[in-house]
Amino acid sequence: MTDPLLRVENLTTQFFTEAGTVRAVDSISFEVHEGEIVGLVGESGAGKSVASMSLLRLVESPGEIVAGEITYKGRTIFGLEETADGSLSERPEMLSEEEMRREIRGNEIAVIFQDPMESLNPVFTVGGQLREFIELNRGLSKRVAREEAIRMLREVGIPDPEGRYEEYPHQFSGGMRQRVLIAMALACEPSLIIADEPTTALDVTVEGQILDLVDDLQEKYGTSFIWVTHDLGVVAEICDRVNVMYLGEIVEQAPVDDLFYETAHPYTEALLESMPRPDLTVEEIQSIRGVMPSAIAPPSGCRFHPRCRYAREACKRVHPDPRRVATSADGETHRAACLRHDVFESGYEASAPLEHATALSDREVERPPGGEGGE
Amino acid sequence: MSSFGETPTGSDSSTAERDSETLLEVEGLKKHFTTGSGLLSGLRVDPGSFPPVRREHERVRAVDDVSFSIARGETLGLVGESGCGKSTLGRTVLRLLEPTAGTIRFDGEDLASLGGEALRRKRAEMGMIFQDPHASLNPRMTVGTIVEEPMVAHGMLDGEGREARAKSLLEDVGLEAHHYHRYPHEFSGGQRQRVNLARALSVDPDFVVCDEPVSALDVSVQAQVLNTMARLQAEFGLTYLFIAHDLSVIRHIADRVAVMYLGTVVELAEKEELFENPQHPYTQALLESIPVPDPRESGTRGVLEGEVPSPVDPPSGCRFRTRCPVLIAPEGYGFGDAEWEATRGFVRAVKRRTFEPAPAAEVRERFFPEGVPDGEAGELVETALSLVSAAELEGLEEDARTARWHEASELLLESFAEESICARERPHYEVDPVYGDGEHLAACHRHR
Repeated sequence: MTDPLLRVENLTTQFFTEAGTVRAVDSISFEVHEGEIVGLVGESGAGKSVASMSLLRLVESPGEIVAGEITYKGRTIFGLEETADGSLSERPEMLSEEEMRREIRGNEIAVIFQDPMESLNPVFTVGGQLREFIELNRGLSKRVAREEAIRMLREVGIPDPEGRYEEYPHQFSGGMRQRVLIAMALACEPSLIIADEPTTALDVTVEGQILDLVDDLQEKYGTSFIWVTHDLGVVAEICDRVNVMYLGEIVEQAPVDDLFYETAHPYTEALLESMPRPDLTVEEIQSIRGVMPSAIAPPSGCRFHPRCRYAREACKRVHPDPRRVATSADGETHRAACLRHDVFESGYEASAPLEHATALSDREVERPPGGEGGE
Repeated sequence: MSSFGETPTGSDSSTAERDSETLLEVEGLKKHFTTGSGLLSGLRVDPGSFPPVRREHERVRAVDDVSFSIARGETLGLVGESGCGKSTLGRTVLRLLEPTAGTIRFDGEDLASLGGEALRRKRAEMGMIFQDPHASLNPRMTVGTIVEEPMVAHGMLDGEGREARAKSLLEDVGLEAHHYHRYPHEFSGGQRQRVNLARALSVDPDFVVCDEPVSALDVSVQAQVLNTMARLQAEFGLTYLFIAHDLSVIRHIADRVAVMYLGTVVELAEKEELFENPQHPYTQALLESIPVPDPRESGTRGVLEGEVPSPVDPPSGCRFRTRCPVLIAPEGYGFGDAEWEATRGFVRAVKRRTFEPAPAAEVRERFFPEGVPDGEAGELVETALSLVSAAELEGLEEDARTARWHEASELLLESFAEESICARERPHYEVDPVYGDGEHLAACHRHR
């Protein structure tokens, strides 16, 4: 296998707040290969946005990347080493802030955010912003950059690009603004685009148009994507491989087909069951008990155990890391962090089921007995 | 003008469940907003006419001639994209907004004509749940006060009785009685939505309008709240008007579904029928665009071009025609199917200016690989082709170029699109259902 475009190992990002240390991203590892769309899925608070911003070193105080290694095309975006006195310091080959700004952000790795209104400046014309971006990043003359900007606007499906070049962001609809951001992301022909919930705020027909556009553009430019979303429907539609996050950790990592058909983590399973389906009439949807706990004091052992219907005594003690549980037909690894799999040898089978899990498996879902404050 | 629901009660008696009476019946409901207010807004100066100054306000036709009925104990799902008027409809039905025209018969009485005290008393039978669980609860009131407020307004029970009822309601919606003394900020989004539910139910209403009640929630919490709502409906015998943009949620909770587009209902049918046998091209496009959580299901998506037109000046006839992938060919030109499809594609491309100026032959080859249509239609296409060909546009200023495009687009639209039956008549047809035997209405001229 060729070297991945991006390799993330044990990335850990924490926020130091007065209430305590928030372990937003806790030792996650994944890879992105050339030309693939990798999903980063989870509910709000799972740490998926912090994880993706960490890749560009765009985590702001009080947040900080405290451990791990990020390698992009052989260059070290983040890496620590132990010094003689035992403390950690940045490795010398780690890219400087200047290098990140000039060479990586925008040029190599671009970002598309959820809310296009916040990413566009309301007092400049759309065309002007795009032109300036191209002018600065690609060193083109003003006139050539303008032509390039119009070409990009047409490429992403903005009707009448010459006319709309002079318009302001508020004159564009949500879908059109998102197209402008895609144009901006593509303008420097980056190798990797991080898309953070880019279609969440859009209507389904517009979302469909944008997903189509991404497909076409990916085919044309061969760009890799990290697609951050909470919507498993979108994941099924466009992702090649998927990482499911829960409370700062990756709990399952699999090719998309295996994730849906050979689901190996109870959280993924529960997420899939709790979704109403557009293509089937489901009389009762199985909800997940409770809410995601705080990342300041995550549960012991497996972080999902208080909500898991398979939880046993062992799940409270042993903290599972994502391990290989299967290999798909085309040789891709399927990882899951659940003690039910044999590779963990945790004594799961022998330990006693937890009380709530027994109740849950009896499909006692609406309101668990003894109610612990609803969700 | 036709409208939905001209045959409301008669066909409703078909299924056992809806043998029960109609609780709400809306007919020809309109809600228009005028843009701008104030002394000088809407002032137009036109020196060519007399008097040279006029006042005119643009009217936003948010809800335009909508009719439907809901039976007691039923859930009617109202689905559409942002800006289609579904929330306005929900609010107008409760008379939180003053209807511009039409009747709203609730339990036999016309709400639209009620006023003052009578309306206020009637409101005790209706409730509403809003979308944003963070904005819809007063942060300075305890949950108890919030839930009791509607009871106080309607003079229900005494203080002790209200407290007891509020506590029991909190338990009904899946919270705890001791949450009575807490404040909204102590709760998660899902729990707040439960408080909203308790408040809506406090005056024991028959009818609840739910405006996107779960769209701000995470999937797992959304499922919890949906299940609770379904249980409460059975327990309290509630009737829901459930507004959502998410078709999956609608499919889960609704009995019948109405699809809205640009202020009108374009399709209305029983759930299974609507999802399995959609008859309006807009409903079909909506259903095809939803990403299905199944990687083996390769969806066709993004089937719709363009964007929703402005409700200030909606298209004549069928509102969906400007984006419709199956717009009916205008009569009189003798279009064949393939010819019309090519022409329609060309008309929209010119209108949206989606191709760069090129020699006419090149454009012709791209849009009409089989050759342009014969006769008059062909001549019109040729005229448009030459207007926007590279040779014609060469050396012109941007303004002049835009004028050319505009001219070509106007010519094509007036000759073809505006001549279609879709542009000339408002559609309203009843089709035979395949699933179940409920009424199925589809506002599409293909069913003529």
